[in-house]
Amino acid sequence: MRTEILKLRTTRTPVMLLAAAQLVILAGVSGLFVSGDADLADPFTARRAVAHAGLVSIFSLILGILAVAGEYRHKTITDTYLSTPRRGRVVAAKLGVYAVVGVLFGVISSVTAVAATAIWLTVKDGSLDLASTGVWSTLAGCVAWNACFAAVGVGIGALIRNVIAAVAVALAWLALIEGIVGQLVGDLGRWLPFRSGQALEGVPFPGVDLLPQWGAAFVLATYAAIFALVAVSTTVRRDVS
Amino acid sequence: MTDISVRGLTKRFGPVTAVDDLTFDVPAGRITGFLGPNGAGKTTTLRMALGLITPSAGTALIGGRRYAELPHPRRSVGALLEATGFHPGRSGRDHLRILASTADVDSGRVEAVLELVELTSAADRRVGGYSLGMRQRLGLAAALLGDPRVLVLDEPANGLDPAGMAWLRRLLRDLAAEGRTVLVSSHVLSEVAQTVDQVVIINNGVLRYAGTLDGLGSDSLEAAFLELTSR
Ligand SMILES: Nc1ncnc2c1ncn2[C@@H]1O[C@H](COP(=O)(O)OP(=O)(O)OP(=O)(O)O)[C@@H](O)[C@H]1O
Ligand SMILES: [Mg+2]
Repeated sequence: MRTEILKLRTTRTPVMLLAAAQLVILAGVSGLFVSGDADLADPFTARRAVAHAGLVSIFSLILGILAVAGEYRHKTITDTYLSTPRRGRVVAAKLGVYAVVGVLFGVISSVTAVAATAIWLTVKDGSLDLASTGVWSTLAGCVAWNACFAAVGVGIGALIRNVIAAVAVALAWLALIEGIVGQLVGDLGRWLPFRSGQALEGVPFPGVDLLPQWGAAFVLATYAAIFALVAVSTTVRRDVS
Repeated sequence: MTDISVRGLTKRFGPVTAVDDLTFDVPAGRITGFLGPNGAGKTTTLRMALGLITPSAGTALIGGRRYAELPHPRRSVGALLEATGFHPGRSGRDHLRILASTADVDSGRVEAVLELVELTSAADRRVGGYSLGMRQRLGLAAALLGDPRVLVLDEPANGLDPAGMAWLRRLLRDLAAEGRTVLVSSHVLSEVAQTVDQVVIINNGVLRYAGTLDGLGSDSLEAAFLELTSR
């Protein structure tokens, strides 16, 4: 655990991903208000704006992927397994640390999203009421989404082990495949990972059928657990050469 | 008990038999050279001994245990492998600090081994900017970090300058003189002839010779090696 934290602190990638995520949030929140789609009378507008903190869970996912596949890429995995030959422990430590990192990522992103939303609402002569509009529940969903996706990322990284392939598969799934699968399976589409993440924010999206917030939390946690199990079981046996 | 014992060790990668029923011993207090042409199966054998590759058959034990069963693997066995990597964005010192943390080794050892491999002045530079020889030295520093009783080194002389070679030779002799077990693979036969006490020679994954240099009975190690590995 300690080592995983040290590994994170001694490279620049996590900070760069975090910075990129904040830029995306600023742009996304601004976009919502600039485009004029924002109906200030709608109580969901503020929640929809801060929900951008959840969308950047894609960056948490990539961070998780890099945690394992990055070690194969730079061949530091050999050293890691020499130090901890019980590989299940290595993966378990990574899952734990990255879930927490996902939480931190989500919290920082939430702060950015809330700040950006508050500024825009003030500009538009409104104000952000943290207490009454369910903003907190949306933010909690965003944080949970980041945490689950970071853990899922560790699983994907352990399975695919090639950084570029793993990131490509993950992004292709989110951008393309989940949409297609969603159409094929109809109602069951609510249970897919990205859709569950959206549901976790507790904000209705027009034309998208979502699970209730708690259901989504459970589904995403289950995805994380499945990926964790697959990650541990595939990692233990494979040759490292 | 810090000997390495290899018994019937076999590894098949699909149709390729990389290591074929290999049996030999590596005693403590001596330097054992591990020789063989390219693709003979040296790296595969060493990786199996270190628990990184699962054997198809047979065992490789260190002090009577499999690597994964050692209570403090890094403090028992120091390893340098050819494909070991470093995160290019990390400094040499950070790399060793991370290892020290995983290996349960006192962080004071980091400075000690940096000094030993003469890398102190470059320790804060990013590893991405290191030369081949500097990386090799960093790898050796990592192997020595836990002050292990057993050393497994895959082509440690690779990329070292003449002074580095001489330094490595002295280092290995000192380590063996302290009663440690040293297993080292190499292609530099003239260097091996000067350094090691005994050799294990393999070809196509099969054992061709295990014993002292004198026992080879040839004029030179090179002549004996070529003879044994020409089939
Ligand atoms: N992961 C792998 N998959 C398939 N074949 C492999 C794998 N690793 C090694 N081999 C094969 O096993 C054989 C032995 O390889 P190994 O790397 O152990 O040789 P070596 O003695 O270390 O050679 P060199 O002196 O070139 O380092 C080779 O034929 C190689 O192609
Ligand atoms: Mg080799």
